Order: sequence, then C-alpha cells, then structure tokens
Amino acid sequence: MISLAPPDWLLRFRRRARADGKGGVVIRPRSIYILPTRQGMLLALVLLLMLAGSINYGSNLGHLVTFLLGGIWLSTIIHTWRNLLGLTLQPGQTAPVFAGQSALFQIQITNPSSLSRFGISLKQKNLQGEATDLPPNERRLLHLSIPTEHRGVLNLPQISIHTVYPFGLFHAWSYAELDTHCLVYPQPATSGSPPVEASYTRSDDGDRGVGADDFVGLRSYRQGDSPRHIDWKAFARQRGLLSKQFGGDRTERLQLDWDLLPPLDTEQRLSLLCRFILHAEGESLSYGLRLPGVTIDPGQGEHHKQLCLAALATFEGSA
Amino acid sequence: MRATTDQTLTPGLQLQLYLLTGLVLLPHVIHLPLPVSLFLFATLSWRLASLRLPRLQPGRWLLIPVTLVAVFLIYSQHQTLLGRDAGVSLLSVMLVLKTLEVRKRRDLTVTVFIAYFVIVTQFLFDQSFLLLIYLLLVLIGHTALLMAIQQVTPPQRLFDPYRKTFWIALQALPIALILFVLFPRLTHPLWHFGYDASAVTGLSDRVSPGTISQLIQSSETAFRVSFKQTPPPREDWYWRALVLWDTDGRSWFTRKNQPLSATTPRLVPLSQAVEYKIFLEPHRQHWLYALDLPAITHSGAELTPDFLLHAQSRVTRPIQYEGLSFTEYRIQDLSPAHRTRALALGEGVTDRQRRLVHEWQADNADAERIVERALDYFHRNPFVYTLNPPAYRDNPIEQFLFESREGFCEHYASAFTQLMRLAGVPARMVVGFQGGEYNRLGDYYTIRNYDAHAWSEVWFEQRGWVRIDPTAAVAPERVRNSIQPGVGGIGDPVRFLQGQGGLIQSALNDLGMLLDTAEVNWREWVLGFNRDQQFSLLRGLGFGFWRSGGWSILAVVLVVSVLGLIGLRLWLKARLKLSPTIRLYRRFCHRMAAIGLPRAPQEGPLDFSIRSCRLRPDLAPQIRAITRLYIGLRYGPRETRPQRLALAEQVRRFRPRRLSRAE
Repeated sequence: MISLAPPDWLLRFRRRARADGKGGVVIRPRSIYILPTRQGMLLALVLLLMLAGSINYGSNLGHLVTFLLGGIWLSTIIHTWRNLLGLTLQPGQTAPVFAGQSALFQIQITNPSSLSRFGISLKQKNLQGEATDLPPNERRLLHLSIPTEHRGVLNLPQISIHTVYPFGLFHAWSYAELDTHCLVYPQPATSGSPPVEASYTRSDDGDRGVGADDFVGLRSYRQGDSPRHIDWKAFARQRGLLSKQFGGDRTERLQLDWDLLPPLDTEQRLSLLCRFILHAEGESLSYGLRLPGVTIDPGQGEHHKQLCLAALATFEGSA
Repeated sequence: MRATTDQTLTPGLQLQLYLLTGLVLLPHVIHLPLPVSLFLFATLSWRLASLRLPRLQPGRWLLIPVTLVAVFLIYSQHQTLLGRDAGVSLLSVMLVLKTLEVRKRRDLTVTVFIAYFVIVTQFLFDQSFLLLIYLLLVLIGHTALLMAIQQVTPPQRLFDPYRKTFWIALQALPIALILFVLFPRLTHPLWHFGYDASAVTGLSDRVSPGTISQLIQSSETAFRVSFKQTPPPREDWYWRALVLWDTDGRSWFTRKNQPLSATTPRLVPLSQAVEYKIFLEPHRQHWLYALDLPAITHSGAELTPDFLLHAQSRVTRPIQYEGLSFTEYRIQDLSPAHRTRALALGEGVTDRQRRLVHEWQADNADAERIVERALDYFHRNPFVYTLNPPAYRDNPIEQFLFESREGFCEHYASAFTQLMRLAGVPARMVVGFQGGEYNRLGDYYTIRNYDAHAWSEVWFEQRGWVRIDPTAAVAPERVRNSIQPGVGGIGDPVRFLQGQGGLIQSALNDLGMLLDTAEVNWREWVLGFNRDQQFSLLRGLGFGFWRSGGWSILAVVLVVSVLGLIGLRLWLKARLKLSPTIRLYRRFCHRMAAIGLPRAPQEGPLDFSIRSCRLRPDLAPQIRAITRLYIGLRYGPRETRPQRLALAEQVRRFRPRRLSRAE
C-alpha cells in the first residue's frame, strides 16, 4: 500500500539495493521492507474479534483456530519476504523517446532459486509497472513506463520491487537503483519550416537527371532520353542533340544549422531542429546537422536520424 | 496497489469460493432454524446459477430487499438479533449475501474473512475432533483462495494454491500450539449474552414421573471419572447431583429461598476417603456430580449444606475437577426447620397409603424397622422395574403403589419418600447417577445419561441421613449393571447390560472404548484445557517458577523462534544455488588462479582457454577438454549425467603446477 510506505524524510535512511558493475541489483535479505496491507490489518482485527468471542464462550477450539490463523498471519511475513529474496534485476534496452512521451524501461527480473515467485511487480514512486510470476530459474522482462518532460538523458530513477504474495496480508518491497538510462529527444516543434535560403545547398555533383522539378542544365543526348527533354532550340542552332536536365530533391542536401534558426531559446531551437530532422527523414532528404560544437555530416536513414536526435538530446547548450 | 487488484475474479475462482462457502455453512445446517438454512441454500444456489447464466446476477438494488428479507427471517425465527443463535444466523446470512456481490478480488478477501468468523462459531455447537479437522481443511481452502488471487497467471494446476497453503498452515501449526498452551485462560466469561435454550439432555432440578425414564433413552456421556486408588465397590457408586426436599404430590423439587439452618451439618467419615477426578460434560447447570458423599470442593464451586457441589457459573464447557468423598459417613444435626421440611406432605395422600403406614408403625415404630418394612413391601409385592411405565395421570404415587406397580427409579424413590414422611420419618429425594462403565484402555469410568438415578435419604436419629435405594429392593441388578436402553416395550422389565456377547460384540466394545478414550483425552487436553491444566502442564514442563508474565515472554520467544526457523529454511532455499557444473568450473578456475593464471572477470571460458593454452602449452589438452565439456554442459541443449561425470573427473585430475623459474 502506498499510504503505508514511510514518509519521504525517512526514506533518506532507507536501505536500497545498489547496482553492481553491470547495472543490475540483487535483492538481499536486509534490504526488504515489510508492512501489513490494509487487508492484513483487517484480518488482524477479525482475529482479535474471533479471539474475544472464543474467550467469552470459553471455546478452546475457537482459540486454536484463531491462533492457527494468527500463526499463518505471522509466518506470512516471512513468506512475503522470501518472495523477493534473491531476485536479481537487470536493466534491458530502452528505446529513446521524445520529451513528453513515456520512457519504457525494460527490466529483466531473474529468479535464480528453485522456489517459484509470484505476483512480483515494479514501481517507480507511484507509477505502477507490470506484474509477473517467476517460475524457478526463470527470467521475465518487465516494462516500467516513466513519463518524460525534458530532453536529455533520463537515468532510471530509484525503483521499487513489490509483492503481497502469498495472501495479500503483507506488502514487501525493496528499493533498487539500476544503472540504466533512456535518451529523451527534444519534443518536435509543432510548426515551422527550415529557413530555405541558406539551408538548401546545391549538390556539387548531384544525381543529375534524376529529378523532375527544376531545370538544372544540359547534357548530350543519350539513348532513351525522353524526346520531350530534348532541347530542340539548341538542335535548331546546330548544337547537336542535347537533353535538358532536371534536378530532383535528392540533388539537394539540407544543412540544419543552429545559427540559422530564428533567435529563440535553446530548447525551442532544439525542438525546431527535431521537427526538421523528422521531416527531412520523412521526405527522404539528405540532411546534416550543425550545432555549436557538434557537426554531423549530411546523411540519411534511421541510424543517421538517431545520431542527429541524440545530438539534440545531449546538447549541452550554446557557447 | 497492484495493477491486478481491480481485476474481476475468474469464474473458476468464483466457483471455488462459492463451493467453499457452502462447505463452511454445511455443519451449521443442523443448528440453524430450517427457514434460515433454506435461505442460505437458495441464495448460494442462486449465486452458483448466476455463474452459468450471468443475467441472473443480482444487481445492487436487489440486494437491499433480499437483505431485509433475511433480517426479517432471522428475527421471526429467533425473536431477537442478539445472542449466540441469532448471531450465528446473522453471520451465516451475511456470508451468503456477500457472495451475491462478489465481483472483484477485494470482495473475495472480505468473503473469506467472514468465512473465518463463521468457522469459529461452529465450535459453539459442536466440539468434536472430526468437525475440527473438517473445518481446518475448509479454512485452508479459503486461505488458498487468497493465494490464488495473488498470482498474476492462473495456477498451472488447480490444487497448487491449496497444496502450498496447506504447507504454510502446517508451518503455522507450532505457533498455534504454543499460543494455545501459553495464552492466559479466563475462568469467567468476559460478558454474558444470556444463555440460549438448547436441548441439552441431562438431569433437571424437578423430578416428575417420567423425567428420568426419558433421560434413560440417551446414551450421551454425562461425565467420566477416574479413581486415584482402588475404586469402592460398585454398589456404592451413587453420584450425587441434587437433593429434592419439597413435593406437591406429583413432582419433587427444592424451593428456593428456604431459611438456611443455623448450623452446618457435620460429616463424620466412617470409611477411607475416596479420591477421584471427574471430567464433566457441559450441561448448562450449576450442579456438579460427586460420589456420595463429598467432603471437599474446588475453586469455583461450593459445598452446600446438603453436601452437593454447586458451581458459581453454569457449566457451558467441559470441565474437570478433583473430588474427595466418603462412602460411609454419618451426618449430624438436622435443624427443626429442615425436619419440618423433610416431613411435609404433598397433595394426593390417600387413606390407603395411611393404612399401609399405620400397619407398619403398629408393628414397630422404630424408624429403621419402618424402612425395612417399606423395602420389604416393594420386594414382596409384584412390583416391576420398567423403563416404560404406564402414564400415571391423577395421583402417580397412589396408582403406582396399589394399581399398576410398574415404575422406574423415580417412581420408587418418590413413593418411598412419601411413605416415610407419612410414617414420620424425615426423608428427602436425591437424584444423580448410579454406576458407570469401565474403560480399561483409559482406566476410567464413563457415566452416561442412562445411568441417571433417583433414590431417597431418610433421617435416623442415631445415624443421621442414610441413603436408601428402594429400586434396589425391586431390581438389585440395577445397582450392579447398567441399563440397556432402547430395548423393550411398555411394561417390559428393564434389560441390563451384562457380560459380553460374542467376539464381534467384544471387538465392538473394544473399539467403543478406544474411541471413548480418545475422546476423553480430546476433552481433557483440548476442550477442557483450562487455567488449572495450563498451570499444571507448565509446572510439569519446568516453567512453574514463572508467573503468567513470564509465560507471555516465553510465548513470544517461542513464536519468534518458530518464525526464525521458517525464515532460515526459506532463506536457505531461496539462496542462489550454483549448478554442479558451475561449481566444477569454478574449482578449475581456482586451480588456474593458483598457478598464476586467474580468469579475468569479463573473460569468457573460450577466451580464457585460448589465453591460458598459449601461456601454458603443457596444460593445453586438459584445459581444452575441461572448457569443451563445460561449454557443452552449460550452453548445450541439456545437461547429461555422463558429461557431468566426465567434467568432474577431468577437474579432479587437473592438478597444475606452477612453472619453476628455470623452465
């Protein structure tokens, strides 16, 4: 129960499982906290009533049954504790997200023992993660989604692993600090287009003749050229058969330059750049990125996009 | 707190819950009024039906009228909503009504908690061992449902949660026993809800013709007794419960608020003291049984001037107490008030009775002679000792004495007492039990309802109150044997349990004794476990020097130790267990490290093998073999035993030496 968790000032003293060299943690015996759940308290109350009734009617069997349930109640503490004991948490791959989206952390929980574990769930503060059961010597991948607000590197905050198994009477949890992070790209700006004049540079040796939009120049006729592209005027001037060349999109490269952006603040500029990158990638343009201190040569493709977005995400600030 | 908490219950879990609800209510059906039982059955059937046909599922608006009907039903049956019986009805109804609104996991938890409470109420009605076992199983079933809802994926096998809960309950059993033994017991209830009328068969404090002969039909155990020494002869086994001074000519009773005699009658023992222990079944009365005539009492009871044991509170649970009696005695002092009382006559004294008594008095006016004549009268005339005497309507004593002459002990005792009073001999009636059946397995005697008996006491000036059993004059076997109940019709002579029949009969007797012995121990150590036994048990265990505060500490220490043991066991099981393969490889790495070739933390087995083979070509075949086996075992499709044995053999033989500097 969240409400039963200790207050924040106390949490500074809490024990937690810290990441080992590989970023994972092992839940050790003394790092597990246990408190009764609301249902556990309710049962305790029911048991007190049962005991009072048994005393009053002098029912020894009533005593016995009440004490048996009391014994189960008590030993549940240990069973709940045991349900977390020795589990290991390993961070998995986390796909980058845009600010405002939720970072989906993958955490692998391994049960290295021969005892089954049940009802294991992850939580970060009040954010509920997935729950799972873990048969002996098995591992499961759980997802914990954490909303992001700002671009940058989101280190996985301290998470907790929870269980109320076996009977929901006690709640055991342990804090774990996993060494993993999620790259948060800037949120793409909703509007704006690249400053056209300077950002489009003509390709020095672009794929001539591939495009169809703009007239680029003439070249000698080749077999197969469309008759409609033949420069008949030139032919009339006895200059031979020449074909008109039209340049396409790919003949141009988009250089996304920090300095050419309108004078906005850093985050807004990064948002704009993010939008341009996504747009350029969507239009299959070749694009490069220039930030203060960072230059990425023009390129294209998913990997290139990730590279550029990562540069935006980790951008430290203009000089 | 879990994402799964709000999930609705699967139909499978619901079915299990409702079936278990039925099982927990089943034993209550005998105690609950029939309409309430029918209501429970109907509601639960409704719930089960709605599992198959979801449109039958009651909405919340329907629950209110159903609840009102249920409360009305209980009130009309019990005329109250308080007290034990109405409370149990209410709780049972609450349980089935709760099942009607079960939708989520939380509802299941609440239902299970109510069921726990219902389980405990069962023991107010029946405390048999079998019921306990049954209810413990039902309890484990309910607890298993709590476990089933905590699993994220449904259990692979239906009975997995039941099995696991059974083991957890078994681990909790020592804690339950420790608390059971050490938890302080009160001698008095915390509060009274009033006593519920319940049909407990037993003696009553008003004896009319037919009172005791009805009781005779029951073979329920009244109490058990074990003698500390050799028991007195059977003829002396008169177990005293009540003295009845007053009569209206038909019934015998003792009027309340009679003036107490100024002097307490004195008991002069004339025989050895008989010491015994009585295990009394609850009879919801104040009186306690004692061998004629008790001389001492125990805490919680007093010895009345009539030499009866009177408990301070009604006996509502099995109790046990020590007794000390003298079978031969003399009681002195009869106050004038009591003498008057012991001579008072009820209605219905006839001339025929007077003539009979005058005849005796004319012969010899001595009280002892008159008693002899009276007994002789019963003996000589054709009196029949029968369980089923005719119904005497107008004047029972007159009709019994002169007309049908068929009667049971209460007829003989009341007629005899009346005749004595008529003759001027102070007399009173005593009711209790006579006899007892020996259980040689447990070395004790069982006194059952059919051993109930009534006799008389007359006052002789020289000897005080003397017990006279007129029934013995007619049927002397009565005081030597028990009655065989349920045999014979109206007017038939009573048949007695005598000797043993065939082999089967004796085997059945033995089995009966065994069961009775088990029951005695059950009663003595579980049901009757009280403050006294707690003290004597703890003294016997060597904790006598501690006060109850010390015992609380002891209880806490023991419970914590049990929890510690459970925890230790689970901790050992939950620890990382390295497979034998990994252990063997670790040993290999350890030996490599010993010759100066430690494996780097990030180094895979193959890399390590290549590096070490280059550094130590002399060990290469062995290192390669071990690495090959290890990789095969660890990452191969399956571990096979021959492979592991081969690896074990290789590692065992692998004893590398450090290269000397010269080489």
